[in-house]
Amino acid sequence: MSTMNCSDFLTHIDEWIEGQEVPGARDHSRSCSNCRGLAEDLGTIRLAAVTLPETDEEPSPRIWASIRAQLEQEGLIRTGYARPVRQSSGWFDSIFSFVPRPALATAYVGLLAVAGFALTGPVHLRSDQDGWREGTQRSTAELNAQLGDAEKTVMASLATFSPAVTADLRQNLSIVDNDIALCEKSVQESPESEIARDYLYDAYQQKANLLAQISEHGDEGR
Amino acid sequence: MSTSSVCSHFVKGKAVILVPGLLALTAVPVWARHIEKHFKVEAHPVVTIHNPSGIITIKAWTKQEVMVMSDQNSDAVEVEADQANNRVDITTHQISETASPDDTRADYQVNVPEDAELQIHDDSGAVNVANVLGDMNVETIGAGVGMADTAGYTTVSTVNGSFQCLRCAGRLEVRSISGNIRLDDTRSSDVLAQTSTGNIIFNGQYLPNGSYRLKNYSGAIEVRFSPADSFDLSATSLKGKVNNELKLDPSHRGFLPKIGNSLVGALNAGRARVELSSFNGTINILKRN
Repeated sequence: MSTMNCSDFLTHIDEWIEGQEVPGARDHSRSCSNCRGLAEDLGTIRLAAVTLPETDEEPSPRIWASIRAQLEQEGLIRTGYARPVRQSSGWFDSIFSFVPRPALATAYVGLLAVAGFALTGPVHLRSDQDGWREGTQRSTAELNAQLGDAEKTVMASLATFSPAVTADLRQNLSIVDNDIALCEKSVQESPESEIARDYLYDAYQQKANLLAQISEHGDEGR
Repeated sequence: MSTSSVCSHFVKGKAVILVPGLLALTAVPVWARHIEKHFKVEAHPVVTIHNPSGIITIKAWTKQEVMVMSDQNSDAVEVEADQANNRVDITTHQISETASPDDTRADYQVNVPEDAELQIHDDSGAVNVANVLGDMNVETIGAGVGMADTAGYTTVSTVNGSFQCLRCAGRLEVRSISGNIRLDDTRSSDVLAQTSTGNIIFNGQYLPNGSYRLKNYSGAIEVRFSPADSFDLSATSLKGKVNNELKLDPSHRGFLPKIGNSLVGALNAGRARVELSSFNGTINILKRN
Protein backbone atom coordinates (compact mmCIF):
# COMPACT_ATOMS: atom_id res chain seq x y z
CA MET A 1 0.00 0.00 0.00
CA SER A 2 1.47 3.34 -1.03
CA THR A 3 1.50 6.04 1.63
CA MET A 4 2.81 8.73 -0.70
CA ASN A 5 0.50 10.70 -2.99
CA CYS A 6 1.32 12.18 -6.40
CA SER A 7 2.04 15.62 -4.98
CA ASP A 8 4.54 14.20 -2.49
CA PHE A 9 6.14 12.12 -5.22
CA LEU A 10 6.61 15.15 -7.47
CA THR A 11 8.15 17.06 -4.57
CA HIS A 12 10.83 14.39 -4.22
CA ILE A 13 11.12 13.29 -7.84
CA ASP A 14 14.58 14.87 -8.28
CA GLU A 15 16.08 12.88 -5.42
CA TRP A 16 14.35 9.74 -6.65
CA ILE A 17 15.75 10.10 -10.16
CA GLU A 18 19.20 10.78 -8.73
CA GLY A 19 19.01 7.40 -7.03
CA GLN A 20 18.48 8.59 -3.49
CA GLU A 21 16.28 6.65 -1.11
CA VAL A 22 12.91 8.38 -0.76
CA PRO A 23 10.59 6.59 1.66
CA GLY A 24 7.39 5.58 -0.09
CA ALA A 25 8.53 6.64 -3.55
CA ARG A 26 9.06 3.12 -4.81
CA ASP A 27 5.66 1.94 -3.68
CA HIS A 28 4.00 4.99 -5.19
CA SER A 29 5.79 4.58 -8.53
CA ARG A 30 4.65 1.00 -8.71
CA SER A 31 1.03 1.91 -8.11
CA CYS A 32 0.86 5.15 -10.15
CA SER A 33 1.59 4.79 -13.84
CA ASN A 34 1.55 8.56 -14.44
CA CYS A 35 4.23 9.29 -11.89
CA ARG A 36 6.24 6.28 -12.99
CA GLY A 37 6.09 7.44 -16.60
CA LEU A 38 7.10 10.96 -15.66
CA ALA A 39 10.07 9.73 -13.63
CA GLU A 40 11.15 7.49 -16.51
CA ASP A 41 10.99 10.40 -18.92
CA LEU A 42 12.97 12.69 -16.66
CA GLY A 43 15.51 9.97 -16.06
CA THR A 44 15.94 9.54 -19.80
CA ILE A 45 16.42 13.28 -20.30
CA ARG A 46 18.95 13.38 -17.48
CA LEU A 47 20.86 10.48 -19.02
CA ALA A 48 20.76 12.11 -22.46
CA ALA A 49 22.06 15.36 -21.00
CA VAL A 50 24.95 13.56 -19.33
CA THR A 51 25.92 11.74 -22.51
CA LEU A 52 25.67 14.72 -24.83
CA PRO A 53 29.09 15.29 -26.35
CA GLU A 54 31.04 18.36 -25.34
CA THR A 55 32.16 20.61 -28.15
CA ASP A 56 34.45 23.57 -28.00
CA GLU A 57 32.93 25.37 -30.91
CA GLU A 58 29.65 27.18 -30.68
CA PRO A 59 27.56 26.36 -33.75
CA SER A 60 26.66 29.37 -35.82
CA PRO A 61 23.21 30.98 -35.43
CA ARG A 62 22.37 29.77 -38.91
CA ILE A 63 22.76 26.16 -37.78
CA TRP A 64 20.38 26.67 -34.90
CA ALA A 65 17.94 28.49 -37.15
CA SER A 66 17.95 25.59 -39.56
CA ILE A 67 17.52 22.99 -36.81
CA ARG A 68 14.70 24.99 -35.27
CA ALA A 69 12.95 25.22 -38.62
CA GLN A 70 13.15 21.48 -39.07
CA LEU A 71 11.93 20.71 -35.56
CA GLU A 72 9.03 23.10 -36.04
CA GLN A 73 8.19 21.47 -39.33
CA GLU A 74 8.13 18.09 -37.64
CA GLY A 75 5.92 19.42 -34.89
CA LEU A 76 8.45 18.58 -32.20
CA ILE A 77 8.61 22.18 -30.98
CA ARG A 78 6.22 25.10 -31.31
CA THR A 79 6.90 28.69 -32.20
CA GLY A 80 4.93 31.88 -31.79
CA TYR A 81 5.32 32.94 -35.38
CA ALA A 82 5.35 31.33 -38.76
CA ARG A 83 8.80 30.61 -40.14
CA PRO A 84 9.40 29.71 -43.75
CA VAL A 85 10.89 26.26 -44.16
CA ARG A 86 12.70 25.09 -47.22
CA GLN A 87 10.78 22.19 -48.70
CA SER A 88 13.07 21.31 -51.53
CA SER A 89 16.02 20.09 -49.53
CA GLY A 90 16.67 18.48 -46.20
CA TRP A 91 18.05 20.11 -43.12
CA PHE A 92 21.47 18.50 -43.39
CA ASP A 93 21.82 20.04 -46.85
CA SER A 94 20.98 23.49 -45.63
CA ILE A 95 23.50 23.17 -42.85
CA PHE A 96 26.38 21.50 -44.60
CA SER A 97 26.15 23.82 -47.59
CA PHE A 98 27.94 26.47 -45.55
CA VAL A 99 29.82 24.45 -42.97
CA PRO A 100 33.50 24.24 -43.90
CA ARG A 101 34.79 20.69 -44.22
CA PRO A 102 37.17 20.80 -41.23
CA ALA A 103 34.18 21.61 -39.04
CA LEU A 104 32.27 18.61 -40.32
CA ALA A 105 32.83 16.47 -37.25
CA THR A 106 31.63 19.11 -34.83
CA ALA A 107 28.66 19.89 -37.00
CA TYR A 108 27.68 16.25 -37.31
CA VAL A 109 27.91 15.71 -33.60
CA GLY A 110 25.93 18.85 -32.80
CA LEU A 111 23.21 17.94 -35.24
CA LEU A 112 22.93 14.41 -34.06
CA ALA A 113 22.73 15.57 -30.48
CA VAL A 114 19.62 17.52 -31.38
CA ALA A 115 18.26 14.75 -33.59
CA GLY A 116 19.00 12.37 -30.77
CA PHE A 117 16.94 14.41 -28.40
CA ALA A 118 14.10 14.27 -30.90
CA LEU A 119 14.46 10.49 -30.93
CA THR A 120 14.80 10.09 -27.19
CA GLY A 121 12.41 12.80 -26.08
CA PRO A 122 9.71 12.43 -23.46
CA VAL A 123 7.32 9.62 -24.15
CA HIS A 124 4.27 11.34 -22.84
CA LEU A 125 4.41 14.19 -25.30
CA ARG A 126 3.03 11.60 -27.68
CA SER A 127 1.19 8.92 -25.91
CA ASP A 128 0.15 6.71 -28.79
CA GLN A 129 2.49 4.26 -30.45
CA ASP A 130 1.38 5.17 -33.96
CA GLY A 131 2.31 8.77 -33.36
CA TRP A 132 5.73 7.77 -32.16
CA ARG A 133 6.19 5.35 -35.02
CA GLU A 134 5.22 7.98 -37.57
CA GLY A 135 7.45 10.64 -36.04
CA THR A 136 10.40 8.30 -35.76
CA GLN A 137 10.00 7.11 -39.32
CA ARG A 138 10.02 10.66 -40.59
CA SER A 139 13.08 11.60 -38.54
CA THR A 140 15.03 8.49 -39.43
CA ALA A 141 14.18 8.74 -43.10
CA GLU A 142 15.63 12.26 -43.17
CA LEU A 143 18.72 11.19 -41.24
CA ASN A 144 19.27 8.16 -43.44
CA ALA A 145 18.93 10.19 -46.62
CA GLN A 146 21.29 12.91 -45.46
CA LEU A 147 23.86 10.50 -44.06
CA GLY A 148 23.64 8.59 -47.34
CA ASP A 149 24.41 11.77 -49.28
CA ALA A 150 27.27 12.58 -46.94
CA GLU A 151 28.59 9.05 -47.38
CA LYS A 152 28.68 9.44 -51.17
CA THR A 153 30.69 12.63 -50.83
CA VAL A 154 33.04 11.26 -48.21
CA MET A 155 33.78 8.00 -50.03
CA ALA A 156 36.04 9.88 -52.44
CA SER A 157 38.35 10.51 -49.48
CA LEU A 158 38.91 6.78 -49.09
CA ALA A 159 41.50 6.98 -51.86
CA THR A 160 43.80 8.82 -49.48
CA PHE A 161 44.09 5.77 -47.22
CA SER A 162 46.14 2.65 -47.77
CA PRO A 163 44.24 -0.34 -49.27
CA ALA A 164 44.22 -2.19 -45.93
CA VAL A 165 42.86 0.80 -44.04
CA THR A 166 40.31 1.43 -46.78
CA ALA A 167 39.08 -2.15 -46.40
CA ASP A 168 38.82 -1.68 -42.63
CA LEU A 169 36.80 1.49 -43.07
CA ARG A 170 34.42 -0.10 -45.56
CA GLN A 171 33.90 -3.07 -43.27
CA ASN A 172 33.17 -0.86 -40.31
CA LEU A 173 30.78 1.31 -42.29
CA SER A 174 28.90 -1.92 -43.02
CA ILE A 175 28.88 -2.75 -39.32
CA VAL A 176 27.41 0.62 -38.44
CA ASP A 177 24.84 0.36 -41.24
CA ASN A 178 23.84 -3.03 -39.91
CA ASP A 179 23.48 -1.59 -36.41
CA ILE A 180 21.28 1.18 -37.76
CA ALA A 181 19.07 -1.34 -39.58
CA LEU A 182 18.71 -3.52 -36.47
CA CYS A 183 17.93 -0.55 -34.27
CA GLU A 184 15.39 0.86 -36.71
CA LYS A 185 13.63 -2.49 -36.68
CA SER A 186 13.69 -2.50 -32.91
CA VAL A 187 12.27 1.01 -32.73
CA GLN A 188 9.52 0.09 -35.16
CA GLU A 189 8.62 -2.87 -32.95
CA SER A 190 8.75 -0.85 -29.74
CA PRO A 191 8.48 2.82 -30.68
CA GLU A 192 7.87 3.86 -27.09
CA SER A 193 11.12 2.30 -25.86
CA GLU A 194 13.64 4.96 -24.85
CA ILE A 195 16.41 2.37 -24.83
CA ALA A 196 15.72 1.28 -28.40
CA ARG A 197 15.65 4.89 -29.57
CA ASP A 198 18.81 5.63 -27.63
CA TYR A 199 20.61 2.80 -29.42
CA LEU A 200 19.36 4.05 -32.77
CA TYR A 201 20.62 7.53 -32.00
CA ASP A 202 24.01 6.16 -30.98
CA ALA A 203 24.24 4.17 -34.21
CA TYR A 204 23.57 7.28 -36.28
CA GLN A 205 26.15 9.17 -34.27
CA GLN A 206 28.72 6.41 -34.83
CA LYS A 207 28.17 6.61 -38.56
CA ALA A 208 28.42 10.40 -38.56
CA ASN A 209 31.63 10.25 -36.55
CA LEU A 210 33.12 7.67 -38.89
CA LEU A 211 32.23 9.71 -41.97
CA ALA A 212 33.70 12.82 -40.36
CA GLN A 213 36.90 10.92 -39.55
CA ILE A 214 37.24 9.82 -43.17
CA SER A 215 36.44 13.30 -44.44
CA GLU A 216 39.01 14.97 -42.20
CA HIS A 217 41.69 12.53 -43.33
CA GLY A 218 40.84 13.38 -46.92
CA ASP A 219 41.25 17.08 -46.17
CA GLU A 220 44.65 16.47 -44.60
CA GLY A 221 45.74 14.43 -47.58
CA ARG A 222 44.97 17.22 -50.01
CA MET B 1 66.69 23.78 -28.30
CA SER B 2 67.12 20.43 -29.98
CA THR B 3 69.92 18.12 -30.86
CA SER B 4 69.62 15.50 -33.54
CA SER B 5 71.39 12.77 -35.36
CA VAL B 6 70.38 11.12 -38.58
CA CYS B 7 71.88 8.08 -40.12
CA SER B 8 71.00 6.10 -43.19
CA HIS B 9 72.58 2.76 -43.62
CA PHE B 10 72.38 -0.22 -45.87
CA VAL B 11 71.01 -3.30 -44.18
CA LYS B 12 72.40 -6.44 -45.69
CA GLY B 13 69.88 -7.84 -48.07
CA LYS B 14 68.38 -11.12 -46.93
CA ALA B 15 68.60 -13.56 -44.10
CA VAL B 16 68.12 -17.23 -44.79
CA ILE B 17 67.11 -19.47 -41.91
CA LEU B 18 67.22 -23.20 -42.36
CA VAL B 19 64.77 -25.16 -40.30
CA PRO B 20 64.67 -28.95 -40.54
CA GLY B 21 62.21 -29.80 -43.26
CA LEU B 22 61.38 -26.20 -43.87
CA LEU B 23 63.09 -23.40 -45.71
CA ALA B 24 62.13 -20.03 -44.40
CA LEU B 25 63.13 -16.95 -46.27
CA THR B 26 62.96 -13.71 -44.39
CA ALA B 27 63.50 -10.45 -46.19
CA VAL B 28 64.36 -7.28 -44.34
CA PRO B 29 64.00 -3.78 -45.76
CA VAL B 30 66.76 -2.85 -48.13
CA TRP B 31 67.05 0.70 -46.84
CA ALA B 32 66.47 1.90 -43.35
CA ARG B 33 66.68 5.38 -41.96
CA HIS B 34 67.06 6.17 -38.29
CA ILE B 35 66.56 9.58 -36.71
CA GLU B 36 67.10 10.62 -33.11
CA LYS B 37 66.25 14.06 -31.76
CA HIS B 38 66.19 15.59 -28.28
CA PHE B 39 64.11 18.57 -27.18
CA LYS B 40 64.42 20.38 -23.86
CA VAL B 41 60.95 21.10 -22.48
CA GLU B 42 59.35 22.72 -19.45
CA ALA B 43 56.67 21.32 -17.17
CA HIS B 44 53.54 19.87 -18.82
CA PRO B 45 54.83 19.75 -22.40
CA VAL B 46 52.51 18.77 -25.23
CA VAL B 47 53.64 16.10 -27.66
CA THR B 48 51.72 15.49 -30.87
CA ILE B 49 52.34 12.56 -33.20
CA HIS B 50 50.73 12.13 -36.57
CA ASN B 51 51.75 8.90 -38.24
CA PRO B 52 49.72 7.09 -40.93
CA SER B 53 51.33 3.73 -40.34
CA GLY B 54 53.69 2.18 -37.82
CA ILE B 55 54.32 1.36 -34.21
CA ILE B 56 54.47 4.22 -31.73
CA THR B 57 55.95 3.47 -28.32
CA ILE B 58 55.90 6.19 -25.71
CA LYS B 59 57.45 5.92 -22.27
CA ALA B 60 57.84 8.38 -19.46
CA TRP B 61 61.26 9.09 -18.05
CA THR B 62 62.69 11.38 -15.41
CA LYS B 63 64.47 13.78 -17.77
CA GLN B 64 62.89 17.11 -18.62
CA GLU B 65 63.25 16.48 -22.32
CA VAL B 66 61.53 14.70 -25.17
CA MET B 67 63.52 12.16 -27.12
CA VAL B 68 62.26 11.06 -30.52
CA MET B 69 63.69 8.05 -32.28
CA SER B 70 62.21 7.03 -35.60
CA ASP B 71 62.86 4.23 -38.02
CA GLN B 72 61.47 4.15 -41.50
CA ASN B 73 61.56 1.50 -44.15
CA SER B 74 62.16 3.72 -47.13
CA ASP B 75 62.63 7.24 -48.38
CA ALA B 76 58.98 7.34 -49.41
CA VAL B 77 58.24 9.09 -46.14
CA GLU B 78 59.89 11.90 -44.29
CA VAL B 79 59.88 12.29 -40.54
CA GLU B 80 59.56 15.78 -39.16
CA ALA B 81 60.04 16.55 -35.47
CA ASP B 82 59.96 20.17 -34.41
CA GLN B 83 59.53 22.17 -31.25
CA ALA B 84 57.30 25.19 -30.81
CA ASN B 85 57.64 26.62 -27.31
CA ASN B 86 56.62 23.79 -24.97
CA ARG B 87 55.13 21.63 -27.70
CA VAL B 88 56.88 18.99 -29.77
CA ASP B 89 55.21 18.02 -33.05
CA ILE B 90 56.14 14.78 -34.77
CA THR B 91 54.76 14.08 -38.22
CA THR B 92 55.33 11.45 -40.88
CA HIS B 93 54.93 12.93 -44.36
CA GLN B 94 54.42 10.72 -47.37
CA ILE B 95 56.55 12.14 -50.18
CA SER B 96 55.99 9.42 -52.77
CA GLU B 97 52.51 8.91 -54.18
CA THR B 98 53.36 5.46 -55.51
CA ALA B 99 54.92 3.97 -52.39
CA SER B 100 53.67 0.64 -51.13
CA PRO B 101 52.05 0.51 -47.67
CA ASP B 102 55.18 -1.11 -46.22
CA ASP B 103 57.33 1.70 -47.54
CA THR B 104 55.23 4.37 -45.86
CA ARG B 105 55.63 2.87 -42.43
CA ALA B 106 57.54 4.67 -39.69
CA ASP B 107 58.09 3.36 -36.19
CA TYR B 108 58.69 5.69 -33.26
CA GLN B 109 60.07 5.41 -29.80
CA VAL B 110 59.42 8.56 -27.84
CA ASN B 111 60.48 9.29 -24.26
CA VAL B 112 58.63 12.09 -22.52
CA PRO B 113 58.47 13.63 -19.03
CA GLU B 114 55.81 12.05 -16.80
CA ASP B 115 53.56 15.10 -16.95
CA ALA B 116 53.49 15.30 -20.75
CA GLU B 117 50.21 15.68 -22.59
CA LEU B 118 49.92 13.43 -25.63
CA GLN B 119 47.94 13.76 -28.84
CA ILE B 120 48.45 10.76 -31.08
CA HIS B 121 47.03 9.86 -34.48
CA ASP B 122 48.05 6.56 -36.01
CA ASP B 123 45.92 4.91 -38.71
CA SER B 124 47.48 1.46 -38.66
CA GLY B 125 50.12 -0.29 -36.62
CA ALA B 126 50.09 0.06 -32.84
CA VAL B 127 50.27 2.67 -30.09
CA ASN B 128 51.79 1.80 -26.72
CA VAL B 129 52.01 4.22 -23.82
CA ALA B 130 53.53 3.56 -20.39
CA ASN B 131 53.86 5.58 -17.20
CA VAL B 132 52.64 8.87 -18.65
CA LEU B 133 50.54 10.84 -16.17
CA GLY B 134 49.35 13.70 -18.39
CA ASP B 135 46.16 13.86 -20.46
CA MET B 136 46.04 11.81 -23.63
CA ASN B 137 44.05 11.71 -26.82
CA VAL B 138 44.64 8.78 -29.16
CA GLU B 139 42.87 8.30 -32.49
CA THR B 140 43.46 5.31 -34.70
CA ILE B 141 41.70 3.33 -37.39
CA GLY B 142 43.15 -0.17 -37.28
CA ALA B 143 45.98 0.42 -34.86
CA GLY B 144 45.63 -1.26 -31.49
CA VAL B 145 46.21 0.87 -28.43
CA GLY B 146 47.88 -0.39 -25.26
CA MET B 147 48.41 1.59 -22.09
CA ALA B 148 49.93 0.81 -18.71
CA ASP B 149 50.23 2.86 -15.53
CA THR B 150 48.78 6.01 -17.02
CA ALA B 151 46.84 8.60 -15.06
CA GLY B 152 45.53 11.59 -17.02
CA TYR B 153 42.19 12.23 -18.67
CA THR B 154 42.41 9.73 -21.52
CA THR B 155 40.25 9.64 -24.64
CA VAL B 156 40.75 6.88 -27.17
CA SER B 157 38.93 6.44 -30.45
CA THR B 158 39.52 3.54 -32.83
CA VAL B 159 37.62 2.09 -35.76
CA ASN B 160 38.65 -1.53 -35.45
CA GLY B 161 41.75 -1.28 -33.33
CA SER B 162 41.63 -2.91 -29.91
CA PHE B 163 42.26 -1.08 -26.66
CA GLN B 164 43.93 -2.57 -23.63
CA CYS B 165 44.70 -0.78 -20.43
CA LEU B 166 46.56 -1.99 -17.36
CA ARG B 167 46.45 -0.03 -14.11
CA CYS B 168 45.08 3.07 -15.77
CA ALA B 169 43.82 5.88 -13.57
CA GLY B 170 42.15 9.17 -14.42
CA ARG B 171 39.02 9.69 -16.44
CA LEU B 172 38.86 7.20 -19.28
CA GLU B 173 36.74 7.41 -22.44
CA VAL B 174 37.15 4.72 -25.07
CA ARG B 175 35.10 4.45 -28.24
CA SER B 176 35.43 1.94 -31.04
CA ILE B 177 33.30 0.35 -33.73
CA SER B 178 34.63 -3.17 -33.90
CA GLY B 179 37.62 -3.11 -31.58
CA ASN B 180 37.74 -5.02 -28.31
CA ILE B 181 38.22 -3.12 -25.07
CA ARG B 182 39.95 -4.60 -22.07
CA LEU B 183 40.48 -2.73 -18.80
CA ASP B 184 42.53 -4.55 -16.18
CA ASP B 185 43.17 -3.32 -12.65
CA THR B 186 41.78 0.06 -13.62
CA ARG B 187 41.90 2.71 -10.87
CA SER B 188 39.66 5.29 -12.45
CA SER B 189 36.58 6.92 -11.00
CA ASP B 190 35.09 7.67 -14.42
CA VAL B 191 35.08 5.05 -17.16
CA LEU B 192 33.14 5.13 -20.41
CA ALA B 193 33.76 2.27 -22.84
CA GLN B 194 31.69 1.88 -25.98
CA THR B 195 32.08 -0.41 -28.97
CA SER B 196 29.71 -1.85 -31.53
CA THR B 197 30.71 -5.43 -32.26
CA GLY B 198 33.69 -5.59 -29.95
CA ASN B 199 33.86 -7.19 -26.52
CA ILE B 200 34.37 -5.21 -23.34
CA ILE B 201 36.10 -6.64 -20.31
CA PHE B 202 36.30 -4.65 -17.09
CA ASN B 203 38.30 -6.06 -14.23
CA GLY B 204 39.11 -3.01 -12.20
CA GLN B 205 38.36 -1.14 -9.02
CA TYR B 206 35.00 0.43 -8.28
CA LEU B 207 35.96 3.65 -6.53
CA PRO B 208 33.49 5.44 -4.25
CA ASN B 209 31.31 7.85 -6.26
CA GLY B 210 32.82 6.40 -9.41
CA SER B 211 30.91 5.99 -12.66
CA TYR B 212 31.46 2.97 -14.91
CA ARG B 213 29.52 2.88 -18.17
CA LEU B 214 30.09 0.03 -20.61
CA LYS B 215 28.02 -0.20 -23.77
CA ASN B 216 28.05 -2.22 -26.98
CA TYR B 217 25.74 -3.55 -29.68
CA SER B 218 26.58 -7.18 -30.29
CA GLY B 219 29.74 -8.12 -28.46
CA ALA B 220 30.01 -9.50 -24.95
CA ILE B 221 30.40 -7.37 -21.85
CA GLU B 222 32.16 -8.93 -18.90
CA VAL B 223 32.67 -7.29 -15.53
CA ARG B 224 34.41 -8.83 -12.54
CA PHE B 225 33.65 -7.99 -8.93
CA SER B 226 34.77 -8.87 -5.42
CA PRO B 227 32.31 -9.40 -2.56
CA ALA B 228 33.60 -6.26 -0.83
CA ASP B 229 32.95 -4.01 -3.83
CA SER B 230 30.28 -1.39 -3.44
CA PHE B 231 28.16 -0.21 -6.36
CA ASP B 232 24.71 0.34 -7.77
CA LEU B 233 24.31 -1.80 -10.85
CA SER B 234 22.12 -1.45 -13.90
CA ALA B 235 22.57 -4.08 -16.63
CA THR B 236 20.36 -4.27 -19.69
CA SER B 237 20.60 -6.28 -22.88
CA LEU B 238 17.76 -5.40 -25.20
CA LYS B 239 17.88 -8.63 -27.20
CA GLY B 240 20.58 -10.63 -25.44
CA LYS B 241 21.19 -12.26 -22.07
CA VAL B 242 22.34 -11.01 -18.70
CA ASN B 243 24.25 -13.62 -16.68
CA ASN B 244 24.88 -12.74 -13.09
CA GLU B 245 26.84 -14.19 -10.16
CA LEU B 246 26.09 -11.19 -8.00
CA LYS B 247 23.81 -11.19 -4.96
CA LEU B 248 22.16 -7.83 -5.25
CA ASP B 249 20.25 -5.92 -2.64
CA PRO B 250 16.66 -6.22 -3.88
CA SER B 251 15.86 -2.66 -2.82
CA HIS B 252 17.01 -1.36 -6.14
CA ARG B 253 17.26 2.32 -6.88
CA GLY B 254 15.62 2.86 -10.20
CA PHE B 255 13.24 1.45 -12.75
CA LEU B 256 13.58 -1.72 -14.70
CA PRO B 257 13.28 -1.05 -18.43
CA LYS B 258 10.06 -2.32 -19.94
CA ILE B 259 11.78 -4.41 -22.59
CA GLY B 260 14.89 -6.54 -22.77
CA ASN B 261 16.70 -8.46 -20.07
CA SER B 262 17.59 -6.30 -17.16
CA LEU B 263 19.12 -6.40 -13.75
CA VAL B 264 19.08 -3.55 -11.27
CA GLY B 265 20.32 -3.51 -7.71
CA ALA B 266 23.02 -2.62 -5.24
CA LEU B 267 26.07 -4.44 -3.90
CA ASN B 268 26.87 -3.38 -0.35
CA ALA B 269 26.40 0.37 0.13
CA GLY B 270 26.22 1.09 -3.58
CA ARG B 271 28.96 3.71 -3.53
CA ALA B 272 29.83 3.53 -7.23
CA ARG B 273 27.51 3.45 -10.20
CA VAL B 274 27.86 0.72 -12.82
CA GLU B 275 25.82 0.85 -16.04
CA LEU B 276 26.10 -2.02 -18.48
CA SER B 277 24.09 -2.02 -21.67
CA SER B 278 24.06 -4.06 -24.82
CA PHE B 279 21.71 -4.22 -27.78
CA ASN B 280 21.88 -7.95 -28.47
CA GLY B 281 25.10 -9.02 -26.80
CA THR B 282 25.58 -11.02 -23.62
CA ILE B 283 26.40 -9.35 -20.34
CA ASN B 284 28.35 -11.44 -17.83
CA ILE B 285 28.69 -10.24 -14.26
CA LEU B 286 31.22 -12.56 -12.68
CA LYS B 287 33.06 -13.05 -9.40
CA ARG B 288 36.71 -12.10 -9.45
CA ASN B 289 39.04 -15.05 -9.09
